Amino acid sequence: MVRSKAPGKKQQKKGIDFKKIKRKLGRKLPPPKNATNTEIKSQAIVLPEQSVGADKSGFATSKKGLTLDELLKQTSHHNAKVRKNALHGIKDLLEHNPAELQSLKYAIVDKLRERLSDDDKSVRDTFYLLFDSKIFPSCVEDNQGPMVSRLMPYIFKAMAESSVEVRLMAFKFFHLVVKHYPPTFSLYADKILENYKDIIQKNHFYVQDRSKLNVALSGLAHCLSLLPCDESDNESKKENEPLLAYEQDAANESARFAHVSRRLKEIVGVLINCFQDFIPLIHTPGGFDEKSFSCLHHILCSIGHAIKFSIRMHVQRKTMCLPAYEDDTLMLLDQDIAPLISKKLLGSFPLNPENNISGKVDERYFILNSVLTEIFLEVSDWSHLHTDLCNRFLVFIENTLLDKVTRSDRQRKPIPKPIHEKTLLALLPSIPKLILRMDSDWRENLLQAFTSTFNDCKPESPLTFACISVVRNVIIPNGDIHYLSESDSTVNNYLRVWVNKLPSLLNQLGDKHPLSSQAVLKLLLDLGRVGCLNASPTFEEDIKNFFNPCHQGEGDVPGGAFARLPREAQDLALAFLYYFTINNFSSPLLESIVSCCLNPQLEPAVLCRIVEVVHDAYSAGYIQITDHFSFLTTLVARFKVVQEEGQFSMECKEQETHRGTLKALAELVCLRLSKMGDGSLVLQILEKVLLEQINLKPWFDNGCAILRIICTLDSKPTSLSESSIATLSEYLPGYLIDIVKCIPEDKENSSLYIQTCLYYLIPCYFMFERSSKLTEEVLKRMQSIVSENTKALESVQDRESGRNSLNLIQCVVSVVLLMHNDVKVRKIISSSKSEIDLILQDVISLQSSGSTSLTVEGKHMMKMAGERLKIASNSLVR
Amino acid sequence: MEETTVIASSSFDCGIGSWDLKTGNEQLRFKQCASPSHGLTAVGEKFLAASQLRNASGSSGSVFFWFWNKPQVEVRSFPVESITALTANSEGTYIVGGGASGDIFIWEVATGKLLKKWHAHYVSVTCLVFSGDDSLLVSGSQDGSVRVWSLIRLFDDQQRQHQERTLYEHKFDEHTMAVNDIVIDYGGCNALIVSASKDQTCKVWSLSQGKLLRSIIFPSKINALALDPGGSVFYAGGGDGNIYIGALNSKSDYATQFLGSVSDPSKAITCLAYCADGNLLISGSEGGVICVWNPRSRQPVRSFTFGHGKGPVNNIQVVRKTIVGNANKAQSSWKRNVSSLPPPLEKYERKGDDTVDGIVIVDPPLSSDVPVYSSYRSADFINEQVKELEQQGSAATEIEMERLKLEYKKSILMNDQWQKNYENLLQVVMEEELNGGSN
Repeated sequence: MVRSKAPGKKQQKKGIDFKKIKRKLGRKLPPPKNATNTEIKSQAIVLPEQSVGADKSGFATSKKGLTLDELLKQTSHHNAKVRKNALHGIKDLLEHNPAELQSLKYAIVDKLRERLSDDDKSVRDTFYLLFDSKIFPSCVEDNQGPMVSRLMPYIFKAMAESSVEVRLMAFKFFHLVVKHYPPTFSLYADKILENYKDIIQKNHFYVQDRSKLNVALSGLAHCLSLLPCDESDNESKKENEPLLAYEQDAANESARFAHVSRRLKEIVGVLINCFQDFIPLIHTPGGFDEKSFSCLHHILCSIGHAIKFSIRMHVQRKTMCLPAYEDDTLMLLDQDIAPLISKKLLGSFPLNPENNISGKVDERYFILNSVLTEIFLEVSDWSHLHTDLCNRFLVFIENTLLDKVTRSDRQRKPIPKPIHEKTLLALLPSIPKLILRMDSDWRENLLQAFTSTFNDCKPESPLTFACISVVRNVIIPNGDIHYLSESDSTVNNYLRVWVNKLPSLLNQLGDKHPLSSQAVLKLLLDLGRVGCLNASPTFEEDIKNFFNPCHQGEGDVPGGAFARLPREAQDLALAFLYYFTINNFSSPLLESIVSCCLNPQLEPAVLCRIVEVVHDAYSAGYIQITDHFSFLTTLVARFKVVQEEGQFSMECKEQETHRGTLKALAELVCLRLSKMGDGSLVLQILEKVLLEQINLKPWFDNGCAILRIICTLDSKPTSLSESSIATLSEYLPGYLIDIVKCIPEDKENSSLYIQTCLYYLIPCYFMFERSSKLTEEVLKRMQSIVSENTKALESVQDRESGRNSLNLIQCVVSVVLLMHNDVKVRKIISSSKSEIDLILQDVISLQSSGSTSLTVEGKHMMKMAGERLKIASNSLVR
Repeated sequence: MEETTVIASSSFDCGIGSWDLKTGNEQLRFKQCASPSHGLTAVGEKFLAASQLRNASGSSGSVFFWFWNKPQVEVRSFPVESITALTANSEGTYIVGGGASGDIFIWEVATGKLLKKWHAHYVSVTCLVFSGDDSLLVSGSQDGSVRVWSLIRLFDDQQRQHQERTLYEHKFDEHTMAVNDIVIDYGGCNALIVSASKDQTCKVWSLSQGKLLRSIIFPSKINALALDPGGSVFYAGGGDGNIYIGALNSKSDYATQFLGSVSDPSKAITCLAYCADGNLLISGSEGGVICVWNPRSRQPVRSFTFGHGKGPVNNIQVVRKTIVGNANKAQSSWKRNVSSLPPPLEKYERKGDDTVDGIVIVDPPLSSDVPVYSSYRSADFINEQVKELEQQGSAATEIEMERLKLEYKKSILMNDQWQKNYENLLQVVMEEELNGGSN
């Protein structure tokens, strides 16, 4: 220390030369060199503040100005009121600062979880509310696993608490957890079921207060509904895993539940006993109240889920040949449980009140009966039940299908629609099994009843889809088609009625219910594939309407739904169409397909597909060759292209104008026609039809397509007849002028336009090459157009028509120039040089005529045209 | 020495053309053949069989046989209905045919006996394929269904009655239109099946799980398939004249890659074959052009024209034949074969003589170093062996016992001898020691 100070002092003294240093000798010794530094240094010591005035800025606070930290501390305060207020405070705080929860989630949960087994009821309720309203909803997106694993030990502790109230709260809270994070159940299944069993077993504690029992039962019903009962939920996940790869040892959902079977058996036993306790209540005159109903409903649902799961595990083990465990036998074959289920549970069916009561209570009985029926349907596959009992259930099913109220009192209100529909949805999947299994009497009844349900269901209700799958499963049980092969004629009659209804159903469904439409189409396709469709006239009519986009007659009715369905459904429909045409082809059907193809809404890919399908049907020999010819030519001649005034509309508008579609279509048709046989023969057949179309002067897009067809089929010296050539020479000048009109003047030389032009010109060039007579005729005609217009210009004073004539002349000149530009065509037209010379003369005469109707601009145009034409004509070699 | 030959037939009456794949030389042209697609097959190395389209109007179909060295039809047989698909197992012991009504027939080549006929599909069968080990048969139909049959289970009537199971092992119904071609890879019982259909898709199925794994959508309908030996891609011949490459493991639903297209795009690809020897892909088109491709470089290597470009090629098969070096030997084997001309295929199943064991005659390959024997009768041979063992069993063991006893006696004698020697030696050593000690 000392040393370090010395140089500092010396520096200070600089500047002053001899300053005297006063030293008081002997008074103070400098500290020794080995002195220890005893100075104490410390950073600021912050004492915890408790004052109201402490600075809390920057911290989130509740209404009462407390921070989260303080609130959490207060939750373990010895006074219940303080604890409750603290919980309220937390709720309040989180409401205003949601971000706080995200960052401090685990800390909060760690502290709060102790409150689950709080002594005070109001604290527990507040705790529940806090989790229900704030904590769980805000954690939906992130992984809740860690949070749940923090909570579970406390939940189990509370479930084993001596106080019934605390236990109930634990169950209630657990139900909340499962609602927000369903995998919880699968993780702790065994332990949870054990706890439920305990609490339900001791129901005599609170048999008076049904709401308490209901808490436990509702949680149990929810948990059991999470048991995997369907194969389908497992299968869907496996989609698109790589092939030829090692299989992953994925934690199989069902394997997790493999060992709960014994537990489930116990629970079912306990639940049935519980159900027994309610029996006297059921038969009391006044019926039962809302709470008892809810209890009963939960009991029955839980039993239903448990039985379903047990059956599924059994079947799975059988098919996969897994070793069976001792306690794993099928619940319904278990000697303890089976009699309980068949006697005590199902034996009590139907649940009926003693007296007439209000409609509300009636509904409740109906719901319970329907759940019992579901259980019956599951059970009846596996164990033999008493005939009398079976009949009771079957009567119920039949009445439900027929929509008749169980007890036929007339003053009763019918069961409300939504409840009835829900029941039907649950019952329908088992109908096919039932129909196939029952003896003839019941079968007939059920078929009758189902037919009425099927006829009654509206397209918009989910019942339609369920009904379609029933029809499918009756006709095609496990993949083999049982249609009209059945020995039983009554069944066949019903099946026929159902199948005949399908097309009209398809039309009713329209495009609003693509899933149902797809199901109907799939069924029709499967029937069509095996050749089981012997259609009635109405059937065919409906199919036609389905494809036809516009209806005759009423203007407002929208046409068939085909064009508006999604692509998958369209593919199915087309596959069906193929098989349908194979079995019953008729030309009206083809007509409706044509009008479907000409529908501008149709996607080009679908259009191509239709042409393919029809061609396939033709080449398989099911469509007559004449029909197929007229199909192809009609398509080409009638396909509508959106017209833009005088433009090729090059700039990426091909999609809007459908011009690209027509091009593709023309190409496809040419290809198909050339495959159908010897070109010249096909042309001979088609010549008349095609030229009739040409005679109608179609728009040049369609005209081009027809010309292309002729070119494809024709050969070098043309095989077209005289009259055909005459017709063509009528049409071609106008056609050529139309093309030229579409080129805007300024873009005459852009390569894009020239290419497009070529597309339209090439068929003409081919024809010129094949028939010199045609060339001559066309040029002659053009020459006559020019001379007519020249004359018209000289006589007519009207300005408008004058300009038209001038334009026409200009166009003809452009056509000649275009042809001249092409080296090959130049040779062809050189044989008719005289015509071109005539045109040239006309132009020159016009230019020099000095007619009044010719403007300066017009004169200039003619001069230009004349010069260019002169050059062209001179280069033509005789 | 082996020779790789390409054979091709058409639906027009152009006969069957054959070319050497390596040199491209045209070989013999077999006369009188107009077969449907999938109607041509080589039966082992013995002969060619093709079903005929000609009698389509009549009630019965016809199947013709040709020997490799003779252009004339050698054997004609007339099954009950027209056969739309024909194939044989790799050894050439059985011929399987699919009929227009959806029935499948199995004949034994050696006897011509119709072993089994069953109703497989609702409408006509379009293609038939054996699995790599010839134990499974996969059939595709006009109605879009694909079914897998186990040849063993088909004949096991007892078990079937017992278990009440369906005849087929699997059935795949997801195609919406006719199945055009099927290939199966080399995975044995865990193989993948690829099927092509008119509905513009190819679907990949798992044989072990019996379910659909992939569905790949193509821009046009697919007429023919060939599997790359690598097993990860397959080639699909489209109706638009392009050969597409589909990846078995593709993530996307659409196939976009394509190998190449034949010269005239209007002519659809009708058949494909892959030759593992030299890695070549062979395509046949509607225009009658057979094109050989190098799938790696995606370039055509050479092409053959068939039937003057008139008739569409609809079948191509690559056959590997063993050429017998010695001409004399070939001559002699030929003579023997003439004497055992295969009998025509029978029309109906024979009832009543089920007691006779089916005797399968397998001709050994005609390679030079294997001693040539005409045939062996497997069932009989084994039966005889078993009988022999049963009869001679007791005598043989007795002899063996005697021999062992003798040996035992010998060893005991030897043992005594050795012991004596040892004792003598010990004596000597002891004496020496004692003497030495005293010294």
